[in-house]
Amino acid sequence: MTTLAVYSNKGGVGKTTTAVNLSFLAAQAGAKTLICDLDPQSSTTFYFRVKPKLKYGAKRFLKGGRHIVGSIKETDYENLDLLPADFSLRHLDAGFSKFKRPKERLKKILKPLKSEYDLVILDCPVTISILAENVFNAADFILVPVIPTTLSVRTFQQLLSFCQKNHYDSGKIFAFFSMVDRRKKMHNLLIAMMLKEFNGMLRSFIPYLAQIEKMGAEREPVVKSAAGSLAAKAYHNLWTKFQEAAHVDLRG
Amino acid sequence: MRDHLKFSLPEKYSQRQLTGALAEHYVIRKEPTVSESMAIYDTFDWRLFNKSLVLCASQNNLFLRKLYKNKVIHSAAIASPPVFLSDLPEGELKDRLAPVIKMRALLKLVELHSRLTPYRALNRDEKTVARLVYEETKPAQRKNVSILATHLWVQPLKGYTTECQAICKDLEAAGFKILKREDIYFKAIAAAGKKAGGYSSKLNIRLDPAMRSDEAAKAILRYLLRVVKINAAYLEKDLDTEFLHDFRVATRRIRSALGQIKSVFPMDVVSRFKSDFAFVGKVSNPLRDLDVYLLREQAFKALLPPALRSDIDPLFDYLRGNRSKALQKVIRAITSKKYSQIMRKWESFLDRPVEDFPPAANAGVPVFALAQKRIWKQYRRVLKDGGRILEDPEEGKLHALRIECKKLRYLMEFFASLFPPKKIKKLIARLKTLQDKLGDYNDLCVQEKYLLGIAEKLPAAHRKSTKTAMAIGSLIGALNQEKRVIQDAIAKTIGDYASSSNKRAFGELFASQQKETVQ
Repeated sequence: MTTLAVYSNKGGVGKTTTAVNLSFLAAQAGAKTLICDLDPQSSTTFYFRVKPKLKYGAKRFLKGGRHIVGSIKETDYENLDLLPADFSLRHLDAGFSKFKRPKERLKKILKPLKSEYDLVILDCPVTISILAENVFNAADFILVPVIPTTLSVRTFQQLLSFCQKNHYDSGKIFAFFSMVDRRKKMHNLLIAMMLKEFNGMLRSFIPYLAQIEKMGAEREPVVKSAAGSLAAKAYHNLWTKFQEAAHVDLRG
Repeated sequence: MRDHLKFSLPEKYSQRQLTGALAEHYVIRKEPTVSESMAIYDTFDWRLFNKSLVLCASQNNLFLRKLYKNKVIHSAAIASPPVFLSDLPEGELKDRLAPVIKMRALLKLVELHSRLTPYRALNRDEKTVARLVYEETKPAQRKNVSILATHLWVQPLKGYTTECQAICKDLEAAGFKILKREDIYFKAIAAAGKKAGGYSSKLNIRLDPAMRSDEAAKAILRYLLRVVKINAAYLEKDLDTEFLHDFRVATRRIRSALGQIKSVFPMDVVSRFKSDFAFVGKVSNPLRDLDVYLLREQAFKALLPPALRSDIDPLFDYLRGNRSKALQKVIRAITSKKYSQIMRKWESFLDRPVEDFPPAANAGVPVFALAQKRIWKQYRRVLKDGGRILEDPEEGKLHALRIECKKLRYLMEFFASLFPPKKIKKLIARLKTLQDKLGDYNDLCVQEKYLLGIAEKLPAAHRKSTKTAMAIGSLIGALNQEKRVIQDAIAKTIGDYASSSNKRAFGELFASQQKETVQ
């Protein structure tokens, strides 16, 4: 089982749309996939038309094992299951700290899913607290969407220095460009700079497109609803580039 | 192939009504119809069916499942329709089938064609909560072929069991019936004009203990004639080696029945038909011998040192070449005038009603009494011959004992239905242990002799090959070694068979008080 976290310490950068579309692509290629919605805002859960409710709330979620298996819902798509979000997940940080090794709790929670799934995608909320550290410990790879704007790039740098300070392997971090507008000079400049400076930067650009925003209305991955579209192609490209860079082959 | 719930539809139900029945609580969305075809395979003698297994091929995949179950146990990718075990890719499926089908060919029994219309039941959020598949199955693709079965499959989605249960309840209220112990297999086989388990090489003859012996003998012989005819019809097709084997066993049993069910038919009748069937057996001897060698090709090679294994190939190539000639000879024989004459006479003899006045001493005796007497006598004969071997285990005597055992075995099988099934089964099993040992020993003797003579018969090019000669020599040595091991063990097997517990069990069933009535 490969665990991939789609993570960013900045909001509104396209984490959820990325997690939703990549999970669909992996499942379609034959990998048994589970997408975990860790965000109490439950956007991923909403996209898959599932009610945002864990069977026994965050408390049991923290226990892991059969408690989370019972909450898993099959999506409308073959090979793709969802662990829905729950509003009580907002207390997750406080919950982790009650356990012995609070920063490794998530890893333990996900352990029983190992035999059942080829890929687990974590859709993470905006955070750089104890939940973030749990994500860093649980994930084999961390995929970070970065908008080529000053503030977004700055936040990404903050993330890298946080990892360095806390001895997290920055080798498992991969970033790609999100909501790119090539007409903007600033975007192009920052893209060039980032590609030069950061090793894990993928040559993958998700354009800023109305079609992707429309996903909220259609409640379907854009790679499914508009399979031949520019947006779909961009996500396909991202998934290929990621697998190449991470040396993983998730085709089931 | 689905691991879901299966429903039968109420009579004269249409697909449109189906959506109506569920529309109250759910939005039902139809998806494009797809077609699927699937072929069911088994051996001629239903080896898979007898083990409650169903082997299906669909597109380029082979699936194995249990009867009445939809869950696939093993599957494998195949490039062409499977015939023999050796055609299957290495893996779990092959390992599972190997001990069941052995050397028999897989035959395509029937092809099923299904039209599948998937539906999705959506909740208020338009999330799929259950998948339904409407399936119409036909035994052929043509338009005018009537539908064999119509089913509705309901597939629950993980995390939506409550919704699925509600749907099932609605369906049941609308007259759908959940099908548990039902399998399309039977309908499919019947549509192909076949009966599952309809042929077995084993004897299954029901006799009435009070029956006149000549009538019972005719019933047994009629059964055997049927086996002969069924298998003879397939010999020409040469699908596998077992048609000939079953054909030969049945003719041998006929001869044995004529000889062993004593004094039920006039002497001249018995001797005429015995010699007729001896002809049938004799003409197929060479082909069967070659089949046995070729079936054991891998086993023989395994006996050789690895360096010599490929050097024995010329021998097997030679045997294969001879086999096609031998097969032609058999086909000529069974299509000959002589053969059809024998069969015609035989059939008319069997069909003739028994005469009111018994024509032979035991003809009018109740079959139970005759069976007891014959089996008991033959059993004692086996013990006597076995005892002599213990004194002097010589090849000729072992051969004679093997023949006597075979006669006893056939008698017990002919009359098995007259005795308590469990007890007779156990006694047959004990006899089989002894027979297997004697059979192995005999095979090794025959093979050794055959190989000793074969080197001269090989085509000139190979005759000169020292390596081939070495390989054959090495094989003879290995066989001889094995022979000696069996020879050493045979005394114990005979001793076990002659044990007092076995004697008692035999005595209980067969040593009766009524023997005076039988001559």
